[in-house]
Amino acid sequence: MENVLSILFCLSLLYLALTSRVKHCVNVLQAQGIILAVINTLPLFHHFTLGEIILPAALLGIKGVLIPFYIRKIITDLDIKDPIEPTIQQFTFIMLVITLMSAVFVASGILAKSTEINIIPFASGFSAIITGILVIIFRKKLLVHVMGFLAMENGIFLFGSAIAFKLPVIIELGMLLDIFVVVFLMGIALNKISTTLSGFEAAQLRRLKD
Amino acid sequence: MAIIFSLTGLILASGAACWFVKDLKAQYFISLFAAGAHLLFSFALFTGICAPQLAFLSLDPLSRLFLIVVSNVYFWVVLVSYQYLKQSTAKGSGKKYYFIFLNVYLLANSAAILSNNFAMYWVVSEMTTLSVAPLIYYLRDEESLEAMWKYLFLVSVGIAAVFIGIIFLALSATGTVVEGKQLFFTDFIRHAALLNPVWLKASFIFIFVGMSTKIGIAPMHSADVDATSTSPGPIAALMSGSLRVTALVGLMRILQIVRGTSVYEFARFIMIIGGLLSIFTAFVFIFRVRNYKRLFAYSSVEHLGLIVLGVATGGLAFIGAMYHIVYNSINKVVIFFCAGSINQKYGTVDSEKVSSLLENMPWTGWIFMFSFLAISAVPPFGIFFSELKVFEGMLFSNRPWVLFAVLFFMLFIFINMGRVVLQMLYKKDENSKVVKERERVNITHAVSLILLVMLIALALFTPNVLKSTIIDIAKDFGAAS
Repeated sequence: MENVLSILFCLSLLYLALTSRVKHCVNVLQAQGIILAVINTLPLFHHFTLGEIILPAALLGIKGVLIPFYIRKIITDLDIKDPIEPTIQQFTFIMLVITLMSAVFVASGILAKSTEINIIPFASGFSAIITGILVIIFRKKLLVHVMGFLAMENGIFLFGSAIAFKLPVIIELGMLLDIFVVVFLMGIALNKISTTLSGFEAAQLRRLKD
Repeated sequence: MAIIFSLTGLILASGAACWFVKDLKAQYFISLFAAGAHLLFSFALFTGICAPQLAFLSLDPLSRLFLIVVSNVYFWVVLVSYQYLKQSTAKGSGKKYYFIFLNVYLLANSAAILSNNFAMYWVVSEMTTLSVAPLIYYLRDEESLEAMWKYLFLVSVGIAAVFIGIIFLALSATGTVVEGKQLFFTDFIRHAALLNPVWLKASFIFIFVGMSTKIGIAPMHSADVDATSTSPGPIAALMSGSLRVTALVGLMRILQIVRGTSVYEFARFIMIIGGLLSIFTAFVFIFRVRNYKRLFAYSSVEHLGLIVLGVATGGLAFIGAMYHIVYNSINKVVIFFCAGSINQKYGTVDSEKVSSLLENMPWTGWIFMFSFLAISAVPPFGIFFSELKVFEGMLFSNRPWVLFAVLFFMLFIFINMGRVVLQMLYKKDENSKVVKERERVNITHAVSLILLVMLIALALFTPNVLKSTIIDIAKDFGAAS
């Protein structure tokens, strides 16, 4: 089941790379948040404890509801319009994403021979990190950069779930809260940028240089 | 243990009180009380008067030294903040939130330095970024907005890379006794020899690159330089003197783990490249920079580069680097206090538009000159002695060529920085619109003088506790026997 969900997660990344609509990107992030919450719920079917339901619930609340709601509010308030403009040709961008994702899957297969890792969630998580970075590098709108960062963070969560190590719930909640506060502050900054610098694109940020 | 909870409670209460109390002076005294209590606690920990035990806390010599460095910087920054805010003409709500975020900053930095767990370190390290970002935007102008955005974004991406490194570290423990357990530094250090070197190498790379955004190591230094140069004087001092030190803890922890493995040589090589690149970057940009705050931000890149080089070289250079952390943090506080005062008086950060500083602001001017001499390693200021140790360590290491490269770059950095500073101090400008009035001595001058004296006293009469702590850190890193 975890593998099926991870493949769905991977497909959502391809859509994130393909779409030119800002609102569709938010939908993708919301879907990823829900997938992550479900993946973290799966172990509870074998061994249910009340304490362990906190993390999936927080994931669903923050990544599945709160952050998408907040980003949609920013889009409406600032009237951010489509399309998402790339700084390179869209075809080249897609090819880059697909090539790197394929390389990650092949490399994960090789690594799995020497280390005990769950290939599909591991490779899907790492693909999200790479896709997130590529979105940040090759898109013009600052809000889309935030979404690239969030895709990267989602990938790290999935990637982490493929590896056996314990984190106290309080620390996992701390991580989620940190991410939410980062997005919250970025939202406030975007708001200020749109009024002060009259724009939402990275090209507007050229004042500080040597 | 009770003391830790009491102090945490005090800082939280101080932050909360600043939220509810609207009077700036009251906020100042509340925050100053918390800062004083924190300094006392850090001093007690440093001297061994108290030694609380908690599973998630690390009280090894490294944490104790770094905590007192951060606490010392924080205390003086809070002490001068009220005077700065009173004179500041900043628009908007910057003043309202200033002390609230300072308290959060103190809590996050202390937790990061004292944490014994990688995941906890990650969470609080991100919190340090979140607390300082609104402070960078204090002036509410276009430059500070851009700097805040870049800092928040780049450092958050860097911290995300650190988390990937932490996951790789967990992977390196597959098949060992540490597998599946919580990520305590102490456990990993104890069982370092069992870790998978390939994953450990990957972990080191990600943590080094990620933390570089916060430490300010080239080529990931840009957001740090932007933020330091656009934030108000006290905040720039705080970032240069303490935030980079907190970030350095993360790098030192992974190095401590790697030390007992075959990956150590690789890690040292990467750090030497990073350190050299930082000094080289400062060398290149210092020729072009006209903004004097930016100039000192690049000086921070240079000095952190030197610290990283010293740590990577090991032996005497490592010990020198530890002293350098102490002296550089104090020195940077004085420099940025002066830069903040000059900016308030002249209303510009362009060094070409600042003239006759010694005439117009004699107190600030002389302190500025001495702080420049101190950062340029002129004796008897501490940096002279720490750099001497780092250089001696490099000369007798297996890579003496590093020393020659460093000396070459640093000579030109000194010349260029000196040219700018001396121009600001002595150049006459008849068209200057600066109001010529007698400069009154204020708290910033008094604090700067205390810190300059501290820089000399610590170097000439180094307390035994400082010496022994640094030797203990060197032993933990295998740099002293």
